[in-house]
Amino acid sequence: MRSDSEQLPSGQLGRLLRVGAVGVGAALLLSFPAMAPNPYYLSAGIVVLSYAVLATSWNFVGGLTGYISLGHGALAGLGGYGTALLVTKAGLPSFVALFGAALLVALLAIPLGFAALRVRGASFVIVSIALVLILLLVFQSWASLTGGSRGLVVLRPFPGLLRPEHHRVFFFLYAALLAAALIAWWLIDRSRFGLGLKAIREDEDKAEALGTPTLSYKLIVFVVSAAFTGLGGGLYALWFGDLDPVFQFSILTGAYMVLMALLGGVRHLFGPLLGALIVGVGLEYFKVEYGSTPLHLVGSGLLLGVVVMFMPDGVIPAVSHAVRRLRGAADSSIREVTAAELAEQRRPAEPEEARR
Amino acid sequence: MPSTALIFQSLILGILLGGLYALLAAGLTLYFGIMRVVMIAHSAFLILAAYLAWHFHARLGLDPLLSMLVTVPLFFGAGVATQRLLLARLRPATLTMMSVLLTFAIALVIEGLLGYVFTGTQRRIRLDYGAASLEFFGARIAVVKLIAFGMAAVALLGLYLLMKHTRFGWALRATIQHGDAARLIGIDTERVAGYGFGLGLATAAVGGTALSLDSTIYPSLHWHWIGPLMAIIVVGGLGSVPGAAIAAMTLGLAQSLLQLPLGATWAQTIFYIALFATLAVRPQGFFGGRLAQRF
Amino acid sequence: MTLATVELSKSFGGVAALDAATVTFRPGQVNALIGPNGSGKTTFFNCVTGMIRPDSGRVAYQGKDITGTAPHRIARAGMGRTFQLCRVFGRMTALDNVLVAARSGSLVERLRSPRSRDHVERARGWLARMGIDHLEHAEAGAMSWGQQKLLELAGVLMSDPETVLLDEPAGGVNPALIDRIADLVRELNAEGKTFVIVEHNMDLVMSLSDHIVVFDRGRPIAEGPPSVIRSDERVLGAYLGV
Repeated sequence: MRSDSEQLPSGQLGRLLRVGAVGVGAALLLSFPAMAPNPYYLSAGIVVLSYAVLATSWNFVGGLTGYISLGHGALAGLGGYGTALLVTKAGLPSFVALFGAALLVALLAIPLGFAALRVRGASFVIVSIALVLILLLVFQSWASLTGGSRGLVVLRPFPGLLRPEHHRVFFFLYAALLAAALIAWWLIDRSRFGLGLKAIREDEDKAEALGTPTLSYKLIVFVVSAAFTGLGGGLYALWFGDLDPVFQFSILTGAYMVLMALLGGVRHLFGPLLGALIVGVGLEYFKVEYGSTPLHLVGSGLLLGVVVMFMPDGVIPAVSHAVRRLRGAADSSIREVTAAELAEQRRPAEPEEARR
Repeated sequence: MPSTALIFQSLILGILLGGLYALLAAGLTLYFGIMRVVMIAHSAFLILAAYLAWHFHARLGLDPLLSMLVTVPLFFGAGVATQRLLLARLRPATLTMMSVLLTFAIALVIEGLLGYVFTGTQRRIRLDYGAASLEFFGARIAVVKLIAFGMAAVALLGLYLLMKHTRFGWALRATIQHGDAARLIGIDTERVAGYGFGLGLATAAVGGTALSLDSTIYPSLHWHWIGPLMAIIVVGGLGSVPGAAIAAMTLGLAQSLLQLPLGATWAQTIFYIALFATLAVRPQGFFGGRLAQRF
Repeated sequence: MTLATVELSKSFGGVAALDAATVTFRPGQVNALIGPNGSGKTTFFNCVTGMIRPDSGRVAYQGKDITGTAPHRIARAGMGRTFQLCRVFGRMTALDNVLVAARSGSLVERLRSPRSRDHVERARGWLARMGIDHLEHAEAGAMSWGQQKLLELAGVLMSDPETVLLDEPAGGVNPALIDRIADLVRELNAEGKTFVIVEHNMDLVMSLSDHIVVFDRGRPIAEGPPSVIRSDERVLGAYLGV
């Protein structure tokens, strides 16, 4: 995979550059709260960061196995409500509740993943969408527990803090969670387990015929993804402090995760983060400029359509492709034809009769 | 325990609802059969048709049923265009996943535009015969529901006759059952697939008009339809039109009857329960559904 | 090390692809499975390797009943296979394609790098044996058809199978490469691997195999060494459609 270091021609230098770039990026990110001109910017930064966490969490499944889930918004919502309910009803301390809720989401992901992952492709997407719709129904209707459409208020974890301070703390908490998710993805990506997952993405039957336990692999990575998504949703509940089923179990949240990851590039560690920066900043800007019009749906829909049609591998490959082309056609010949294109070229050349 | 009359009424309402589900699920499963595409935008087009019917009635003062003269051919064209210009251009290797996203994107655009043009206000057609109802062995059935069911039944019957008794129908069924073989015997499967999509969207136009007769509509309503419809086609076996029809009737009835003890919202969960149960127990669906084994 | 089936049946939508097929392959030999198109050879492979669950009948391997066992378990039990239209992981490098097949045990071990010295050495060894080691960093999807066939074989061999099922190894490849594949099969057989080969190229089948099973309409109609099969009238009949 391209995220592996040994594939680049200038290994040492490239690696050094990459580590440097990550360092600079991290420094920029962490200095954002100090640079933000007012609390509004800071809270917008938190929203974008929470998108980055969710998109990166989504990418455990989407990027590594190729299974596109549109239902991860529901897992985030469950993390949020789980945390909120454990705080308000069970009286647990905020961060115990956060991890407890994430654990519950991960446990729930086991039967869910079993139903969704046993069959291929289409059924998985259907289940993922159904998950959002059914949870929205349940959380809206079960008002005695969830407060229904009136919402559910969560006590702040740090009651002594003023609002800007509160934002600042949560910005760093989100940054830490993002770092944890990125490290976990990176570790899996470069492991044997990760190689097996990528084999599933390429050709599941083939992977299984070579001895990869495909169902367990998919299930494990789905559960990991669910846990991180649950943590992301739970942190949101603690930060924002007020939950409404319509927003927590919105099909849009899941769609944004997909859009961000896909736009940035699902095969890349930092792809979803990049996509979250682009889309997240765009959404926040849109909200400020145009208020809440339904046009953001149109914008998101069009962008998603363009990404799917014209750059399904995201902007990172699209840009690096352009760069490579600029550098000269030295090694460009081999990688430009994808397997799928090749398979299509091959088909007409291999009629049944010719193989006798 | 609800009275027998009430149960009888629910039974009839369930059948009427099941008819509409059957028509819409038939379209959805048709796309899947043709191209292995889960067409998320199907229900968005349904709501679009309902809005067009409402607009037709509100602006021109004509009967909403007449709007079908416009929407059915329009949607047929839109279906052909969607297949030829968008879906057919996706890479075959990742078609199933990417087509879901693409049709999802279409659904978002439609929902956004509906909200922008018609605002998010809930709309309802006021018809002269809207309040009329028939007494039927103690059950009261609104006339508009009967009309909606009649439209669904006629459209479904038309679809059935088309698939069974016309050249095009044969080509379509051949394409669904074995695309490669269909190509070998000279069927232009690309073209058939395009028309198949047109046909599917045309059913959404009929369904949307039927829906507009007795429902309050709003832009995000399509999410309430796509869930049950997807559940129906999985339970019926992906790609199987008769399976979808049977599952639609069964689940429509179940929903209607469960409304008595549980109320409207909880009754809807039957679709999702059926969906999860089917995938856990019999992933290929309960009726037909040879295709689903590999997907 | 025997692979055998008893009354294996599978039908698709009322059409019987396998009709109570009872077959025993010879361990340590090169077995061939031939028959006209649609006679159920690939379905047979799919049932034996767990990709499809048979409607009825049993599959036994090394004295154990493996009917309905998951494909990855069958692979781990020592049965490797290639696919009819050669399947490789198109967007992975040739080396990674082979490394996927390496065995690892515990969960902790699976979190280690796939490029351990030992695994890479073995993977390179198989690539070298196929004569495509110069392509180890090339993306598999960009390799030629013949190279992909060799790569697929290298992957299967990396999983260290005792029995190798090849589905049309000579399909769509040039004569020089066919000879190469034939030589590889002979060498590997001499090293102790059992082969079961589905193939339409009769010259190859006759020259390569020790034991031939002929399928027609989902069941074996004849079996024996090439000399016997060549003169069997039922075989001719099946092929000519008499």
